[in-house]
Amino acid sequence: MFRFIGRLLMALALIGLGLAGCRPATPAPVTLTIIMEQVPDTDVIQKLLPDFEKENPGIRVTIDAMPYDAMRDKILASFMAPKATYDVIIVDNPWMDEFVAGNFLEPLDSRIQTTPDYDFEDFVRPVREIGVVGGKVYGVPFYNYALGLIVRQDLFDDPAYREAYQKAYGQPLAPPTTLEEYVRIAQFFKEQSGGKIYGAAMQPQRGYKVFEEWKNWLYAAGGNLMDEKGNVILDRPEAVQALNLYIEMYQTAAPPNSLNWGFDEALRSMAAGESATMMSYNWMLPTLNNPQGPAGALAGKFALYEVPGGKAVLGTWHWAIPHNAPNKDASWRFISWVTSKAVEKQRVILGGAPVRVSAMKDPEVWQKGFGQAYYETVLKILEDAEPLARGPKAEEIIQIVGTELNAAVAGEKSAEQALKDAADQVRKIQGQ
Amino acid sequence: MTPLLRFRVAAFPAWRVWTRRHWGTGGRLLLLGISVFVVLFPFLWVLAASLKPPTEINRPTLWGFTPTGAIWAEVWLGSPFARYFLNSLLVGGITVGISLAVGTPAAYAFSRFRTGGTGLRFLILAAQMLPPALFIIPFFLMAYHTGLLDTVWAVAAAHLTFIAPLVTWFLIGFFEDVPWDLEEQAMVDGCTRWRAFLQVVLPAARPGLGAAGLFALIMSWNEMFYALMLAGGHSKTLPVAIAGYWTFRGVDLGKMSVAILSAVLPVLVVSFFVQRFLIRGLGGGALKG
Amino acid sequence: MSQRDRALGRRLLFPLLVLLALVQGYPIAFAAYISFHNYQLTALDQVRWAGLAQYRGLLDNPSYWTATRNTLVFVGGAVILELLLGLALALLLHRPVPGQNAFRAIILMPMFITPIAVGLMFRFLLNSQLGIIPALLRPLGLDVDWFGPRLALVSLILIDVWQWTPLMVLFLLAGLEALPTEPFEAARVDGASSLQILRHLTLPLLRPVILAAVLIRMLDAFRVFEYVYAITRGGPGERTETILFHIYRVGFLYFRLGEAAAMSFTLAAVILILVVILFYILRRQEAWA
Repeated sequence: MFRFIGRLLMALALIGLGLAGCRPATPAPVTLTIIMEQVPDTDVIQKLLPDFEKENPGIRVTIDAMPYDAMRDKILASFMAPKATYDVIIVDNPWMDEFVAGNFLEPLDSRIQTTPDYDFEDFVRPVREIGVVGGKVYGVPFYNYALGLIVRQDLFDDPAYREAYQKAYGQPLAPPTTLEEYVRIAQFFKEQSGGKIYGAAMQPQRGYKVFEEWKNWLYAAGGNLMDEKGNVILDRPEAVQALNLYIEMYQTAAPPNSLNWGFDEALRSMAAGESATMMSYNWMLPTLNNPQGPAGALAGKFALYEVPGGKAVLGTWHWAIPHNAPNKDASWRFISWVTSKAVEKQRVILGGAPVRVSAMKDPEVWQKGFGQAYYETVLKILEDAEPLARGPKAEEIIQIVGTELNAAVAGEKSAEQALKDAADQVRKIQGQ
Repeated sequence: MTPLLRFRVAAFPAWRVWTRRHWGTGGRLLLLGISVFVVLFPFLWVLAASLKPPTEINRPTLWGFTPTGAIWAEVWLGSPFARYFLNSLLVGGITVGISLAVGTPAAYAFSRFRTGGTGLRFLILAAQMLPPALFIIPFFLMAYHTGLLDTVWAVAAAHLTFIAPLVTWFLIGFFEDVPWDLEEQAMVDGCTRWRAFLQVVLPAARPGLGAAGLFALIMSWNEMFYALMLAGGHSKTLPVAIAGYWTFRGVDLGKMSVAILSAVLPVLVVSFFVQRFLIRGLGGGALKG
Repeated sequence: MSQRDRALGRRLLFPLLVLLALVQGYPIAFAAYISFHNYQLTALDQVRWAGLAQYRGLLDNPSYWTATRNTLVFVGGAVILELLLGLALALLLHRPVPGQNAFRAIILMPMFITPIAVGLMFRFLLNSQLGIIPALLRPLGLDVDWFGPRLALVSLILIDVWQWTPLMVLFLLAGLEALPTEPFEAARVDGASSLQILRHLTLPLLRPVILAAVLIRMLDAFRVFEYVYAITRGGPGERTETILFHIYRVGFLYFRLGEAAAMSFTLAAVILILVVILFYILRRQEAWA
């Protein structure tokens, strides 16, 4: 019986190898497979692909688009195979340090230096620094997802609201620049509208979302997760103050029962006209202002500002080449092409989120894109932005802090206790 | 929903007796009607979402908007949706075929001969007790090294991991419900055990086979995790496509609704046909007496 | 049992065992291996033998126990509800009713949607601002936070019940259809009431199928993942962190796959114990020794 099994296994193995052999050998021309998310920025790249293939007749590009978690899992699996299944990957900022530590990414410095006119410094500094680990460049920026404050400008301009606010607080109604102002304005909108319009659509969902939103508040209060030396300072008084204000906002001015809200719900709330403000990715503004988009009749009434305090949470996607990629030169051809100044400009005009200063200051982009005010605001946001966490355990730190924050907003812990627990756990991870 | 369910659970025996005695068919229809409403309501919402123009999608309404077929067109014509459909069919077919072919005799052996004892019965469930997350990397490597990555075979093989044991287990329970007399009588009439199995026991177990087959199809049709990891552009299945509408930039509810309805309809049709196997009908004649 | 029967039993079982060995062998071995090593996906050159350290580490990992507890509550609540409702519906659908086929097909529908889509559907259906269910319930005075700290796990249980009661209906209905008719006719002739028939005839006869159905559903319920993934991500706090989501989190978000493997095997042991207990409780009659 065992002999039979053995023979069966051998037979199956041979069939398997035979099938593998039947696969066509890597064709010349080279085909690059790129893994990306299914987002509008990917669609933009898809549109530009024919130009790349025209300029590089030996290379074809296929894009495999899928949701975020799946992409990360598949990228990890691809790293473990002898030859990577993807030639070019995109890397989210929390993964960058960890992937580099695992020797998964190819260093790009020499390639950048030998590419003429590349101008690596043209990428906004906080954005490009994320791709630099241990002094070497492992990724070049693709698009940013920094947070901004999106408001219903028509509500701020409405004479009735302006008058009421002036009378109540002795100041003109304007997008807030401090946390206290923000809470006050949010509460104001809710009261004045008789509860029909909530002050802010918040995203306190456990994990990534709540931390992504709240860290802007932390920055505005003058705090941070860690100081320059790497000590955890999450449980300092300014952080507690920031969290208490956040909780106050949730309890008094946010839509009720929105504890598990993430990006989707907040966006829909704004689009449906039920909230006056939200902190969200800066490139959501064009989506909201699109007459054929989700906002419908409200399109055109939204405006983008920097978050209160001016320092925003930064997220980015970078292009990178896996260490075990089979055609690294071709991979770099694609990456250097898509991030070149000329193509970046086109990409931004088609609606992509910008990463190069030149693109954001280009009058043609202003004209064909979404207007000068928008791009100038984006540039301001990007210049003073910082990612949620850095270092090899970034994702775990984000999840831990996000769990504690959500527990505080849910009322299960006091703000002080939650931050202390979070800080202790982060310290443990950091080995402090 | 909650109060209704709790009420039903608490008053179950008394309610049933009372219904049968006093209301008969009318009462049954009422209860079934309520169940159907609870079942269908979310589907109605999905249907509405698939027909709403983008400006309406955020309003909690089921009607009162001008429906548009644009989203349906975009999904079916503007993306390789038909291919995903075909892939799901292929993977489902392979999975159902192999799991029934392999599971039915195994279930019979477990039920009649207690082959391997209770220990073996539980051992085959081992993989079902372990999370898919754990198997994904080994599966990926196996598929990569046999060159089967991004084919329907890899996905079907991953599905069989948990579907074949479950089908077997379900059929064991089923075969145990089929009385021994059938085969005994057939063997008295001169059949071997194997022929008795094929010609007498299997037909009597038709409802179970139908249910097991449908169950296998559903499990495979809906499986997303393995399909996500093992399939690429060519062998993507429907659940992967549906999940793909959940992007970093939010859920594309309109397109996802179209995908959901498109994925549900074929299974609905299949289940309707399998109903015939579930109804006892003429098969009951095999039971003498 | 004759020698020939025994041999036949082994041969009938053979294909299933070969299939499982092929697809499960390497993955399970891989998982066992990494559970004893500090296998981290992003530090593959630093894999060291860890012995039982990762298993012992679970003892003072509060998140793991919270997740286990949440999952046990979920499984208990969901399976019990599904069994009761499934039995009720199966009994309703068993007797002829006008439109029976249509009812049967419709009631099975929730099973046909891939779970992640169901999760996303209910995420928006139960959304306090934008969802249609709260909008309908508010005029009735029912204004709850479906995904708040108190109700989140309950809501997930209800979603599971909505989706998977049809599976119970499918199994139990098939079981009912395959039952022999004579005992029931005899009982009715003897004047037994419907309730007596139910308690003393139907349910005992249905026991094997009930056992199989409950077992299968229980194993599946332990693997609840998609609802948490789509709606709450384990929140609020850690209230809906189920064990599979936790394992996924540790293995793929934190890249500590070895630890995730240790958690998985511990979980499998817990499930195995429960399965064995369940098996012996429901199999009090050992009709075939």
